[in-house]
Amino acid sequence: MIPTGPLGTLTQEASISTETTVSEVAVQLEGITKRFPGVVANRDIHLTVQKGHIHAIVGENGAGKSTLMKILYGMQRPDEGEIRVNGTPVTFHTPGDAISAGIGMVHQHFMLADNLTVLENVILGSEPKKGGLALDFAAARTKIRQISDAYGLGIDPDALVEDIGVGARQRVEILKVLYRGARILILDEPTAVLVPHEVDELFDNLHGLVREGITIIFISHHLDEVLKVADAITVIRRGTTVAEVNPEGVTARQLAELMVGSELPSPETRESTVTDVVALEVEGLTMAAGTWRPIPKGTPASFYMDRMRQEGGRLLLADVSLTIHKGEVLGIAGVEGNGQAELVEAIMGMRPAAGVVRLDGVEITDWTTLRRRDAGIGYIPEDRHRHGLLLEAPLWENRILGHMTEKVNVRGWWINRKGARADTQRIVDQYDVRTPGIDVFASALSGGNQQKLIVGREMSGEPKLLIAAHPTRGVDVGAQAAIWDHLRTARAAGLAVLLISADLDELIGLSDWLKVIHRGEIVAEFDPATVTPEQLGSAMTGAGEEA
Amino acid sequence: MTSSFTDRLLGRVKLTGWVSLAAPLLAILFAAVVTSIVLSLTGNPVLDTFVTMVDYGSQPRSLVLILNYATTYYLSALAVALGFRMNLFNIGVDGQYRLAGLVAAAVGGAVTLPAPFHPILIILVAMLVGAAWAGIAGILKATRGVSEVISTIMLNTIATGLGAYLLAEWAVPIAGGNNIGTTPIAASGHVPGVALVPGSSLKVFGLIFLAVAVGIGFHVLLNKTRFGFDLRATGRSEQAAVASGVNVKRMVVYAMLISGGMAGLIGMPQLLGEAYSYSLNFQAGLGFTGIAIALLGRNNPVGIAFGALLWGFLDVSSNILDLHKISPEIVTIMQGVIVLSVVIAYELAHRYSVVAEQKRVSRELAGAAPTPEKEGAAA
Amino acid sequence: MLRNRFGKVVAGAATGAMLLAAAACGGGDTTEGAPSAAPTDAASAPAASGAKVGLAYDIGGRGDQSFNDSAAAGLDKAKAELGVEVNELEAGNGEAESAKEERLRLLASGGFNPVIAVGFAYSASVAKVAAEFPDTKFAIVDDDAAKGANISNLVFAEEQGSFLVGAAAALKSTKGDVGFVGGVEVPLIKKFQAGFEAGAKAVKPDIKIQSKYLTQPPDFSGFGDPAKGKTAAEGMFDAGADVVYQAAGGSGAGVFEAAKAAGGMAIGVDSDQAKTADPTVADVIITSMLKKVDVAVFDFIKSFTSGSVAAGPKVYDLAAGGVDYSTTGGKVDDIKTKLDEYKAKIASGEITVPKE
Repeated sequence: MIPTGPLGTLTQEASISTETTVSEVAVQLEGITKRFPGVVANRDIHLTVQKGHIHAIVGENGAGKSTLMKILYGMQRPDEGEIRVNGTPVTFHTPGDAISAGIGMVHQHFMLADNLTVLENVILGSEPKKGGLALDFAAARTKIRQISDAYGLGIDPDALVEDIGVGARQRVEILKVLYRGARILILDEPTAVLVPHEVDELFDNLHGLVREGITIIFISHHLDEVLKVADAITVIRRGTTVAEVNPEGVTARQLAELMVGSELPSPETRESTVTDVVALEVEGLTMAAGTWRPIPKGTPASFYMDRMRQEGGRLLLADVSLTIHKGEVLGIAGVEGNGQAELVEAIMGMRPAAGVVRLDGVEITDWTTLRRRDAGIGYIPEDRHRHGLLLEAPLWENRILGHMTEKVNVRGWWINRKGARADTQRIVDQYDVRTPGIDVFASALSGGNQQKLIVGREMSGEPKLLIAAHPTRGVDVGAQAAIWDHLRTARAAGLAVLLISADLDELIGLSDWLKVIHRGEIVAEFDPATVTPEQLGSAMTGAGEEA
Repeated sequence: MTSSFTDRLLGRVKLTGWVSLAAPLLAILFAAVVTSIVLSLTGNPVLDTFVTMVDYGSQPRSLVLILNYATTYYLSALAVALGFRMNLFNIGVDGQYRLAGLVAAAVGGAVTLPAPFHPILIILVAMLVGAAWAGIAGILKATRGVSEVISTIMLNTIATGLGAYLLAEWAVPIAGGNNIGTTPIAASGHVPGVALVPGSSLKVFGLIFLAVAVGIGFHVLLNKTRFGFDLRATGRSEQAAVASGVNVKRMVVYAMLISGGMAGLIGMPQLLGEAYSYSLNFQAGLGFTGIAIALLGRNNPVGIAFGALLWGFLDVSSNILDLHKISPEIVTIMQGVIVLSVVIAYELAHRYSVVAEQKRVSRELAGAAPTPEKEGAAA
Repeated sequence: MLRNRFGKVVAGAATGAMLLAAAACGGGDTTEGAPSAAPTDAASAPAASGAKVGLAYDIGGRGDQSFNDSAAAGLDKAKAELGVEVNELEAGNGEAESAKEERLRLLASGGFNPVIAVGFAYSASVAKVAAEFPDTKFAIVDDDAAKGANISNLVFAEEQGSFLVGAAAALKSTKGDVGFVGGVEVPLIKKFQAGFEAGAKAVKPDIKIQSKYLTQPPDFSGFGDPAKGKTAAEGMFDAGADVVYQAAGGSGAGVFEAAKAAGGMAIGVDSDQAKTADPTVADVIITSMLKKVDVAVFDFIKSFTSGSVAAGPKVYDLAAGGVDYSTTGGKVDDIKTKLDEYKAKIASGEITVPKE
């Protein structure tokens, strides 16, 4: 029953479709392929969703789930393949087309106007008209009540959205889609913003919906949730559907293995450069969603966390502790959005958090970002366009960014133009940044060359610690290899590196030690030389604690 | 991925190559065409109108007036531009300079100091008041996240009310007149004019040199100092600035203080060079003219200088149009069209130049490709 | 590189300027003092008296239905009756002091004599320019501060006229509640308010008087913003007033609209506004405080043509017929005797009207 590889998957799919021929098919995707310049986002996707089912689609970030959903919702058009809704082939040009075909989407981030009532939010964009001009609020209110009662959503049409909770807002989003006549709902990561009891409520609601004949496509990478709620599960890996399984006959660990794939890259055999000198020490880092409230110094993280949980708050970081030695690369694995960005921002001092951070034994918890950078933290940000570069500024000015105190860049209050330019040229030469000169705008360079410039910049000034968030995302293979080489060289020279990545090749290939973050907590740690895909997959998806 | 329209509008993104030349040229040409159409629609002679304006505007006396107008406009536009470069919309320059002018005039009228110190004191007071008034908006934004657009507009209104109250408190009536004003500043506080333009008895404000110095200071501050780098970085990408360790909140307060301090200077050339008293005739609305000129000059001190001169020329020549029975409002139309078309022209030119630069870079790299490719492989 | 960029901007702007210059086809050099300012049709004017009158308006200019229009009426009358040639220039809102000076200078250097400046804002400018052109006669309305051998100051006793309409308001008010809307809170307009309040109280000592100014200096938009006038007057009518007096220039039109909408009464200012205001609202105007700028302007031009210009102040008060109240529409006919009684008392000096 459990598929073990691509061949097994196909058999599995075939067997399921024969089992369920009796019921109607709501959505069928046949051979969907979508290419973007340089990448194939979706390749030969096959998906069959039965009417009245909760059908889960699981896969790692970047596996192609969101592209697939955009295609199904008319936001993008497939290059190849066919979409059939209720047996009829359709072509969607806009989400409007999808809505008229009865497909609605509930986005992960709510699209509600806080200062309007539920009623106003629901009818926004499809206002019922009375006599041509006037809005027919009464009719809308009746209809909303009917839908709410029919599916047990428990929504008061006249409540202000700002007054209702997150779970209720999500139900409003669902109601909004139903109001527009959708019979097939796509829910994109619906549980990401919810606390556990809200998740249970949501699942009750979803069961209510399918009882009334609604079909639900449920996107998630939280496997335990998927197993709890789904009637069928399709696994996507590297842009294609690799398996369709029945939740009753599969465990979370097996699912995780399907998601991650059966083979992990083997780490290069190399000499360990890890010393016993601690470079970075992080203790009990905790951060809550929403507005930051300072807590008294010395308050234990557990106390703070308990308080946050009592108040029903969501923790973005929960008691994260880690240690990186000189010459060590610590990799943080995890599905995106589980606290990686917050961890980086807390260590960089960009976002307040409770807990203690020490660099070279000196506590830097209260330091500003600039002071931390001065003290020797280099930072390769996750989003280089937003955080790492001034796109419409020349390269030499980008050299200064974040290094406004380095001698080559400044002399006292003054910008050292000559020095900065010379050093930019050095980076360009040394890091092989392909550019006609240092006066071109950063925006004119390709992603790989932009990233090489950033790496070069962050490596200069001999940092003690380098935080590298997705250092090779979106860069070409050549640049990737070059960046990896630079990281290895620096590590050999005694640099401590905190590496955050979604790319398992990168994580296993570079890291001396791996920690896995899930929902803001470090849930497991592994030696990259011995870790199995099953272990990594389970830990990343919260499928089980045992390694 | 690329800069936003606002970035380009506010000159936080610099234009390269021939674009910086073509855009204003096109805009002025376009404005001339639109104005011609308006003129002929209203039954006025098109060519004669332009001839009259240029003719009158090029007389020595008019040149002096243009320089004097431009001095004031220049200071105003620089004050606005400093904020713009950091993505701060200091709409309150108007209130800042009016309040600063009033307090400075009152202080200047109340004390007598030896010549060099008297005007310096007055100017310092004006800068302090302007900075303090703008600083309120800066602190509100940094500590409470209040949009500076809203707070400065409100502070403008408050400045008007406060100014009216203070004027009523401090003013001395001018005998027999219906005007009231602060005690006139003694001669030691005057800044004498300079006879820059031969052939005219009118003198150019002595503080034109202050305006030039402020322009140079603006350039140096923004382009040569760490502070200026932080300011421009924040304007281009606040997130990148935060990630680079720029204390954005502190920058907001500093930028507002500097912008307000510069705003305080706006009223000085007229106060110390001509009026010597803050009266009901004190010129209002210069802060808003400054916004238009800052846009026109793309927040660049040299661009603004030309914008200010152009504005001064148009304002001076509106009188002569009135005398020739051509509605002086034609000048207002022209100013509006110039700003609009400059914005559009910069945008078009920018789009073109971005594509052109990307093409150029890839072309140059393609030409030089073989060598670095090998190096890369070896590395 | 920065220098380079500057160079390009410089070149751009310079080219623009050259374009304009090119469009001008190099209109020849003109010497200062005799600019091409004089309109070409000047020589062909039917100069009965030979006088060329230059007049500079205050903000609002011809068409404000009030102060400036009153001056314009005097000018028109002089043109028709005395056959003088005229040219009028208008002030811009928020202009520099030097713009006012330049306006007067343009007129004087263009051969206009006499030159009339309407409004106290021209005070300093007139003093300065009159000194530069000793052979040109200048007149300034509403200002007695500019002194010179060739300056005539045409000033009015606004408080006296306002006293009369204040009395009229109190007599016509059934609710015992009247209002005053001032354009901008400047000393001149405060004189209107002071006279109005004194007149109203003279009739009914316990009368309720609501007063409001539309803007504060240096914001002079209160003289030209009917919407502001309307809002202010609406507030007064809502609060119980039934007669509102406006001294707000162009903003007065809004006061009349508000009176019309509220079924109340309004009092005009400067001109006989029952005649000059928009006909749809003219019927709410029971009377107007006449400030006879037209008479003053006409008198001045006439004295010029007859060669009898006197420098220094000429006060147009109630006794001299310089201020008055209007009776157009017959709405104050019933109280005319009482008003004329006050008029006589003021003219004789029995009543002294406060100026502030």
